[in-house]
Amino acid sequence: MRALAIIALALLLAFCISQPEGVGKREKVVIGILAPLSLPEGSAQEKAARIAVEEINARGGILGYRVELVVGDDKLDPTIGSAEFRRLATIEKADLIVGGFSSGVMLATMEVMAETKTLFLADASSPSHSAKVAENYEKYKYWFRLQNNATTFAYDIADMVKMLREHGYDVKRVYIIRDEHIWAEDVVKALKPLLESLQVEIVRDVKIPRNYAEYEPLILEAERLNANLIIPIIALAGTGDILVKQWANLKPKILIGGDLLAANDYGFFEKTGGAANYVIFTADGGTLITDPITEMGKKFVEKYKAKYGHYPEAHQAFVAYDAIHLYKIVVEEAHRNGEKDPFNPDVLVKYLERFNETNPIILTRPIAFTKNHDLAWGDNLTRNLISQWQDGKQVVVYPKNVATGELKFPPWIK
Amino acid sequence: MIEFIEFILFGAAIGGIFALIASGFSLIFGVSRILNFAHGVCFAVSAYSAIFLIKELSLDVYSASLIGVAMAVLFGLLVYAMTKPIRNNAVMVIIVTLAFALLLEQILLLVFGNRGLTLTPFVEGVQVIHENLRIAKIRLIAIPMAIAILLALDLFINRSMLGKRIQAVSQDLEASMLIGINVEKVFIVTIAISSALAGFAGILYSQIFNVYPAMILRVLIYAFAIVILGGLGSFRGSILASFMIGYVYLATMKTLGAHWSEFVMLITIVGILAIRPTGLFGVRE
Amino acid sequence: MKVELAQLIILSAILSLLPFFVPSAYLYLIGLALVFAVIVVSWDLIVGYAGQVNLGHTTFVGLGAYTAAILQVPSRIGISLEVHPFVAIILAGIVSATIALGIGLVTLRLKGYYFSLVTAILPLVFMQKVFIWKDVFGGEEGFSIPLEKAVFSTTIEKYYFALLFMLLSVLFMLYISNSRLGLRFKAIRDSEELSEALGINVTYYKILALVISSFFAGIAGATFVNYRLTVSPDLYDVSLMLLIILSAVIGGLGSLIGPLLMGLIIYLAKNWWLTAFRFGIINEEVILYITLILVAILMPRGVYNEIRQRLRLISLFYRRT
Repeated sequence: MRALAIIALALLLAFCISQPEGVGKREKVVIGILAPLSLPEGSAQEKAARIAVEEINARGGILGYRVELVVGDDKLDPTIGSAEFRRLATIEKADLIVGGFSSGVMLATMEVMAETKTLFLADASSPSHSAKVAENYEKYKYWFRLQNNATTFAYDIADMVKMLREHGYDVKRVYIIRDEHIWAEDVVKALKPLLESLQVEIVRDVKIPRNYAEYEPLILEAERLNANLIIPIIALAGTGDILVKQWANLKPKILIGGDLLAANDYGFFEKTGGAANYVIFTADGGTLITDPITEMGKKFVEKYKAKYGHYPEAHQAFVAYDAIHLYKIVVEEAHRNGEKDPFNPDVLVKYLERFNETNPIILTRPIAFTKNHDLAWGDNLTRNLISQWQDGKQVVVYPKNVATGELKFPPWIK
Repeated sequence: MIEFIEFILFGAAIGGIFALIASGFSLIFGVSRILNFAHGVCFAVSAYSAIFLIKELSLDVYSASLIGVAMAVLFGLLVYAMTKPIRNNAVMVIIVTLAFALLLEQILLLVFGNRGLTLTPFVEGVQVIHENLRIAKIRLIAIPMAIAILLALDLFINRSMLGKRIQAVSQDLEASMLIGINVEKVFIVTIAISSALAGFAGILYSQIFNVYPAMILRVLIYAFAIVILGGLGSFRGSILASFMIGYVYLATMKTLGAHWSEFVMLITIVGILAIRPTGLFGVRE
Repeated sequence: MKVELAQLIILSAILSLLPFFVPSAYLYLIGLALVFAVIVVSWDLIVGYAGQVNLGHTTFVGLGAYTAAILQVPSRIGISLEVHPFVAIILAGIVSATIALGIGLVTLRLKGYYFSLVTAILPLVFMQKVFIWKDVFGGEEGFSIPLEKAVFSTTIEKYYFALLFMLLSVLFMLYISNSRLGLRFKAIRDSEELSEALGINVTYYKILALVISSFFAGIAGATFVNYRLTVSPDLYDVSLMLLIILSAVIGGLGSLIGPLLMGLIIYLAKNWWLTAFRFGIINEEVILYITLILVAILMPRGVYNEIRQRLRLISLFYRRT
């Protein structure tokens, strides 16, 4: 029996011997998607990537090579994420990896990226990621973020407070409800000084774990503490719909406005049975899912609806779509410039860096990178547009130059 | 003062739901000496089934809940069937039921994803008790519902013939067989009732809060803590302990956070098991 | 002993030649499988030899992992200390063993069933520390060890390290199991009362078995961490425990080599071969759980033992005729 087992093992291992390691000629371009597929933020990336790859292959691929998509599921776990990254990079031989969502997982996968030297166009928002690029450029330069980072969320939230005041709603005390996670830490860290300079007091800062659902006591407490605004900074807890439903049930004299990822979801209004009305949220990633800001964005959403029957379920779809098209653009640019190996990551890093604040490239959002490979934030670049749900529609209310509607107050408040 | 009333009411709701789960767990152990680590499966399956039926087949919440509870009973009977051949090997039972729990967790993850889902409440809206005290109606309704079911169960166990048989088997299996009680039938009925209890708890819980795959094991931890505190096999003991644990849960959640409350539960279990296992466990070995 | 030794040496020889044929991507996985296999073998020591069903073996894996990780990134607890990875690994084993001692003293006095129950809950208890002291232990996502501080940095080095680790650990455990100590363990496994009657201090040896098996679990956890460069609470997870149980039960409790081989196969199956079967409601974990349930129900003594018994019956039959 043991002998049999050993022979079986040997045979099975012999299978790997049959996989050639060699450097051979290039036959195709492999793009890997690595995301938490059991969440909409992850599955949307895969679906968007498929559309991008189909489009590119329909037009002859990249430099004539067919593009193949390979997929990995990080299951929101850094160990699994690292293993899947390694598998995509070394076994599937991906030329580019796109993906991410959780900042914690991102930190782990960046280490593997540094080892395999694979180009990584990523989501996730913690400034600690770009800090790594700053700290050790040569090691982490292959990483670029195609999503706004957490400090920019704080800028836009602070701007939201100013905007509310301009509309006659004085914000003096705020009640923060946020994910118990590094990404929310980063936002709050950046937000605190901004709020202080606006003379806004943070009456409570509550950390909630994943799947937390007890918002009623928190809302009632916010009332007792005379808060004017509840600022949710919630993406991972996954229960933004419950918060909103309980808020609409209780009808406190408090507005809800903040970085509520769930509110970006096109189905959020329906999902909450209309309770989402008047909820103010930041359109992370620089575009409303139901109302993209660029031509390419609008076309992408149409294709997504045609292929899958509904709007993208998360704004991460735009990130994945842009990432793949961006890759094609820089590879072709490198080839045009006579680069010997236009697929070489070290070469491509230089071409990606050419897109900076003064030279953005407009895809579904304006893409430009800072020195540390963060997405550049600004009025004509990408901002987390302050938006609001109004009677079943997502409306941008700020900044004025891209606004599609005016701020509305819930009837029980004004 | 308002906060105190709020605390009492919230605690009663969660205590009631815990009691439904824990009493079932306790009953199963009392009767068959099986520690059903898959008890949480019934809890989750009923909630997910109901949610699915409402979403995909547009059923009303009452029918969906009924079918959900029926699904829970089905899964309970499945666990009964799986553990029947190995009932003598207590350790294997733990392993098999644990594996089954994780199996369901994976399947639920694959089918429904990791986001918490909520079930349409039996009653929507908020009850205004006082200007500063507004509570979701479903939370208030859950209290009498849970209590009514528990009372009914208590009556059943103490007054009905079948209930008395259940008590007999819990006290002494061999003697019960000797006096002609169909022990297998008692096992089956007990598991069915317990699963239904857990299933209904799942329905209530997902209406007030939400349900997600990892709940299968989380629910188990709390049920286990309660049942050990209240005494394995003691129905009334576990109900009392449920409300105690419910309030402890609420208090620690409010002040220290979710992880501390689980930690407290686990330490309770381990502590009692380690220090006084013979007193708390059943008589049979 | 001789047979097992021979099998171990042949296996190690084959494994040591792999890097010449196999791409490094696969070597990475095989190395991890080797570490996992050590955990399975150490579980066999306490369960298959000493007869104490420890359902919380992952506690010691996790403890070892976090101990080593903290020692190697001491800035997390505010100390600036340079700990060499090998030292960290050994210390991890010692910490695990020490805690096992404490747990053993309290729980091994109880009947076997209660021991299993308490140990089943144990990993969850220790897992909470990861969340409660988030700043130190990194919460649910853990933290990473910078490449420079790990024991080896290239895949090939890691592979040979894992192989050496497996060889030394299993040799040691084989030696123990075939020594007088091992005989005492088996005696206790077969009948506690008889052993007591023969004058064996049952509780002492039970605790010793737990301590030894936990030591190896601890150093395996520490090795995992140095290999993957990340530590996270998944090492405390129930699913890891079930994987260990599956490997040992199918491999055949009480043989050390059976669980070793099965551990390798199951780990590679879960992380590599079975990932091809992901569709609909099936994924690699689902397949493994169903397998475990079926095996546990149909063959509670383990595939290996069942087949060995049948082979013995067949050979007896042939000898007679």
